[in-house]
Amino acid sequence: MALLAMRDVRVSYPVPGGLPLPAVRGASVRLAAGETVGLAGESGCGKTTLALAALRLLPRTAQLSGEILLDGEDVRAMSWGRLRAVRWTAASVVFQGAMHALDPVRRVAAQVGEPIRLHCPGIGRDELRRRVTGLLEQVGLPAGRSSAYPHQLSGGQRQRVMIAMALACEPRLVIADEPTTALDVVVQAQVLALLAGLVARRGIGLLLISHDLSVLAASCDRLDVMHAGRIVESGPTADVLRAPAHPTAAALSAAFPAVGDPAARRSPPDPRPDPQARPGAALLRAEGLRVTFGAAHAVDGVDLALHAGEIVALVGESGCGKTTLARTLLGLQRPTAGRVLVDGAPLPGSTRGLRGYRRGAQLVQQDPTAALNPRHTVYQAVAEGLRIHRMTAGERDRVSGALSRAGLRPPERFFGRYPHQLSAGQRQRVVIAGALALAPRLLVADEPVASLDAPVRGEILALLLRLRDELGLAALVVTHDLGMAWSIADRVAVMYLGRIVETGPVEQVLRAPRHPYTSALLAALPRRGREPAPLTGEPPDPALIPAGCRFHPRCPLLGASTDPELAARCRAVPLPILAGDRTAETACHATGSPGADRVLR
Amino acid sequence: MLDPARPVPRRTPHHLAHRLGPRLVGGLLSLLSVVVLGFFLFRVLPGDPALTMTRGRPVGAREIAELRARLGLDRPLARQFLDYLAGLARGDLGTSYEFRRPVAELIGERIGPTLLLVGTATVLAALLGIWQGARAGWRRGTRFDRRSVGVALTLWSVPPFWLGLVVLLVLAGGLGLFPVRGIRSPDTSLPVVLDVAHHLALPCLTLVAAVYAQYLLVMRASLLAEMDADYLTTARAIGLRDDQVRRRHAVPNALLPTVTLVFLHLGLVVSGAIAVETVFSWPGLGLLVYQALRVPDLPLLQGTFVVICAAVIVMNTLADLLLQVLDPRVRW
Amino acid sequence: MSPPHAGWLRRAGAAGPVGLATLLGVALLAVAAPVLSDPAGLDVTKVGGPLLAAPSSGYWLGTDETGRSVLLLTWWGARVSLLVGVAAAVLSVGIGTVVGLLAGHFRGLAAAVLMPVTDFFLALPSLVLAIALSSVLPRGAGTIVLAIGLTAWPTTARLVRAQTLTVEVRPYLERARALGGGHGHLLVRHVLPAVFPLVLANATLTIGSAIIAESTLSFLGLGDPGRVSWGSMLEAAVDSGAVTAGAWWYLLPPGLGIVVVVLAFTVCGRALEAALDVGSR
Repeated sequence: MALLAMRDVRVSYPVPGGLPLPAVRGASVRLAAGETVGLAGESGCGKTTLALAALRLLPRTAQLSGEILLDGEDVRAMSWGRLRAVRWTAASVVFQGAMHALDPVRRVAAQVGEPIRLHCPGIGRDELRRRVTGLLEQVGLPAGRSSAYPHQLSGGQRQRVMIAMALACEPRLVIADEPTTALDVVVQAQVLALLAGLVARRGIGLLLISHDLSVLAASCDRLDVMHAGRIVESGPTADVLRAPAHPTAAALSAAFPAVGDPAARRSPPDPRPDPQARPGAALLRAEGLRVTFGAAHAVDGVDLALHAGEIVALVGESGCGKTTLARTLLGLQRPTAGRVLVDGAPLPGSTRGLRGYRRGAQLVQQDPTAALNPRHTVYQAVAEGLRIHRMTAGERDRVSGALSRAGLRPPERFFGRYPHQLSAGQRQRVVIAGALALAPRLLVADEPVASLDAPVRGEILALLLRLRDELGLAALVVTHDLGMAWSIADRVAVMYLGRIVETGPVEQVLRAPRHPYTSALLAALPRRGREPAPLTGEPPDPALIPAGCRFHPRCPLLGASTDPELAARCRAVPLPILAGDRTAETACHATGSPGADRVLR
Repeated sequence: MLDPARPVPRRTPHHLAHRLGPRLVGGLLSLLSVVVLGFFLFRVLPGDPALTMTRGRPVGAREIAELRARLGLDRPLARQFLDYLAGLARGDLGTSYEFRRPVAELIGERIGPTLLLVGTATVLAALLGIWQGARAGWRRGTRFDRRSVGVALTLWSVPPFWLGLVVLLVLAGGLGLFPVRGIRSPDTSLPVVLDVAHHLALPCLTLVAAVYAQYLLVMRASLLAEMDADYLTTARAIGLRDDQVRRRHAVPNALLPTVTLVFLHLGLVVSGAIAVETVFSWPGLGLLVYQALRVPDLPLLQGTFVVICAAVIVMNTLADLLLQVLDPRVRW
Repeated sequence: MSPPHAGWLRRAGAAGPVGLATLLGVALLAVAAPVLSDPAGLDVTKVGGPLLAAPSSGYWLGTDETGRSVLLLTWWGARVSLLVGVAAAVLSVGIGTVVGLLAGHFRGLAAAVLMPVTDFFLALPSLVLAIALSSVLPRGAGTIVLAIGLTAWPTTARLVRAQTLTVEVRPYLERARALGGGHGHLLVRHVLPAVFPLVLANATLTIGSAIIAESTLSFLGLGDPGRVSWGSMLEAAVDSGAVTAGAWWYLLPPGLGIVVVVLAFTVCGRALEAALDVGSR
């Protein structure tokens, strides 16, 4: 008998003065005990709504129909009392965004214990404490953190607490809604491995919901793809990924390119050089850059060079300092030490001096919705830069030109539109158009496609490449997504704890990494048919930089090494700052040592 | 939301002393500012305080000169300020022009009734306002909610002194159920506590009615702000009943910002108390202020101003310190 | 994402338009007073009505202790109360907005100075401060406006600062900086338009509390001695023993006038908050 059987489920929300808004239009899902099923789809396709319907957790206004059987029992026919008893004991939910899903004013141990106290009313205090401690141990939360409040834990730790809470009453079904979104690659791999392990050991059925197919690909037996409220494709994971029938499945699959696969490389190997630049001269160069906030060294000695007509990807975990570095290069952040050179001359410090520079270097931010003032029309948004720099002659033509180049044609049609009337992809194009209006030579993009849906990602990435080819634009793309770096970048710089630890051409660094951190990032990527191999330990604290090589506490090379001299060097001798230019370099004591190749593969 | 470009060092000093210290210093600075403000308002601003105090009355030039000498107005301003500070340090708040007694003595006599009135009213208003506000917020849109908000808004629009007058007219004057003035009736057979309580009833009722609306609206808004929170969905998902979700999760989260605001609005209660004491002739600091205003008796006004403001600042600082201890979400 | 102004009429609710209609009605009456009534009736030397008489056909709301018609006094008192209330609110909201914007936008030195000052004045009871100011400055309507305006600004400042901070961290402000915008551009094109709805709603609410403050100050004897306002009417009522005499016709109209007008401003302010999607709900 199936653990969860949903047949022809429909959910709609009434709209005042209009037709009800359908969220789910007849979806069917089956899950057997011990099975892991993935539910994939773009944001807004209804997958979360469908999952919450299993426990009748939808808002009161929602209209629900169809058959939902949980362990053979009809969920819709249950009385409230029976439903409350069933919740968490038969099926539990790991909610997305654990920052807000945990009560901010209660300690995490108390929150994990709450469902136990509720469903086992006679339980003694010691027994409760024992069970809670046991659960937190199983999810790998350090012992001292159990009396912490949610805001005192990292994102990964909060997700672990949510998992512990979900397992508290030993349910037979766990629904995990986007459990790794907003977590970076390494933590994501840790959380997925944890879930897979716990589920396998207890024979729990797991319904894994995500918009990231690569996450589902590694963990799920079967895959259901959802689009606009309907299940459009269903089957064993390997089959669905190999030969997706529905365009949505195909688009999802293509949106997360496998690193190392030459077919996923969009960028041709020889970009056209900028005719203005002297060969070899850098457009932008950072020298010995340091940015410190109080005790935290966000950027701790970086040299980086950017040349016209090249796309450089800056990758690393969250908190490694890459966003701070990008903002410093744009002059939005004042460096504590070091300098930034533009065409050989140092960046001015004052707002007025920077204004000239700003015309040449522009920013594209992560969230296009928040990056546009909701009260300004598209025309005003794109013309804003021109008006600031008093380039009002021929303003209309420049705005049209920028919009066209950004792919919004015909441009006049978009002049009077407001951001809320555009799709997310169109908004990002407007942001790019606003940057292009000033005819910059450099574009700094901070996670430019992270908040966009699968099909749109491809379009924006293609746009960036076209701009590089047609305009000779240089771009620095800051991202934690190695797949995107593989897809469009020429060079990649890997950052860890404020320093660049490896640079070089993308084909070389991502295929044959020479630094153990790069290798670990690659290994943490979920890939088809292969479990992700997560890096151990928490993301590091920029206020406490280890002595010697800053990566040594988590380094798998050091862990596998038997050479005491090497170990001593790694722990005590700091590494020099890499030049960050076109040559391939690594900052590591152990690269080239015996046995390194085996670990780095 | 924190700027993602700024990494937050995870080991911020959570030691209580680190957090309480700056606030204590802030409170002391505020007290000092009150003292300076008192001097500025009542010595510097009027230009010639002696003239201000005797305006509109037939007073000879010699008397004015005597008054000036008594107040020390012929000395340089800096010297006057130092004298003022020295006086405060030893508890001397000057001499009242109208009553011809030390201001500190007058304040000492009157502070008790004010504390009784303000204390009782604050506690009652806060309890009533918070309870009703939570209930109204949870059942947003229902008749209870709409009526609660309607009554609160109407009461908020009523000037406290007028409410007192109406209450006085109807309940004391007209129906004769309550005494018309003062804190004690000399010819009563009731024991002290009951007599005072009888006299306290109307002024307290008026003050509570004038003030509780603010607490109700704040608590309601606070709770409404929490209602969309994701952790409430989690609470429902683990099987809690609706009222359990409200009591265990929504209200505690909504309560802490409310408590902050309750203390911040202490000034509101004090302001209301001045009007209410005047109307009911309640022998407290508020009535003293009113009596001082009629002259205007500047030394007395200065003394009461400093004492009242200092008391409010002290209460606010204490509340701030208490909140640091209680609220786990406060990070600095 | 929905447009910022969608559904504003629905959000404003039923009470908002009622409040607005009330205000317009009262304002019209107040403005039209010199046209529709005879101001000679306010002059103590010129009247000859019965003293403290109950309502009758000749005097619909009765007379005060000098024989003047209470109806006439209430009507004319509306002008002063409304004028002083609005003026004081404009002053206080003006100061508060400027302080809040500066403290929110220029976060370094400006905030370090302005915020403690704002918090200090916020904690102090504003009526006590207003009483202090009114008692040492010469009597008059201008003093009242100044006293209320200079003591009621901290609430606005705090709200405006909080809203400014919300806007300051929005990515579109950083984008404007990245485009090369200076402080002027950021404040005028982005911050001010975003803060304006809050200021408007807050101003409406402030007028209500300013009217109450004015009436209280007048009641305590600090008002303009030459003009009749609702507060001064109530002061006169108490001083002349109307309360003990049970002269409810003298007590109720000015008070009810205050309640109606302040309630109307409050309801409008809350409707504005809801319609513009700012502040409380």
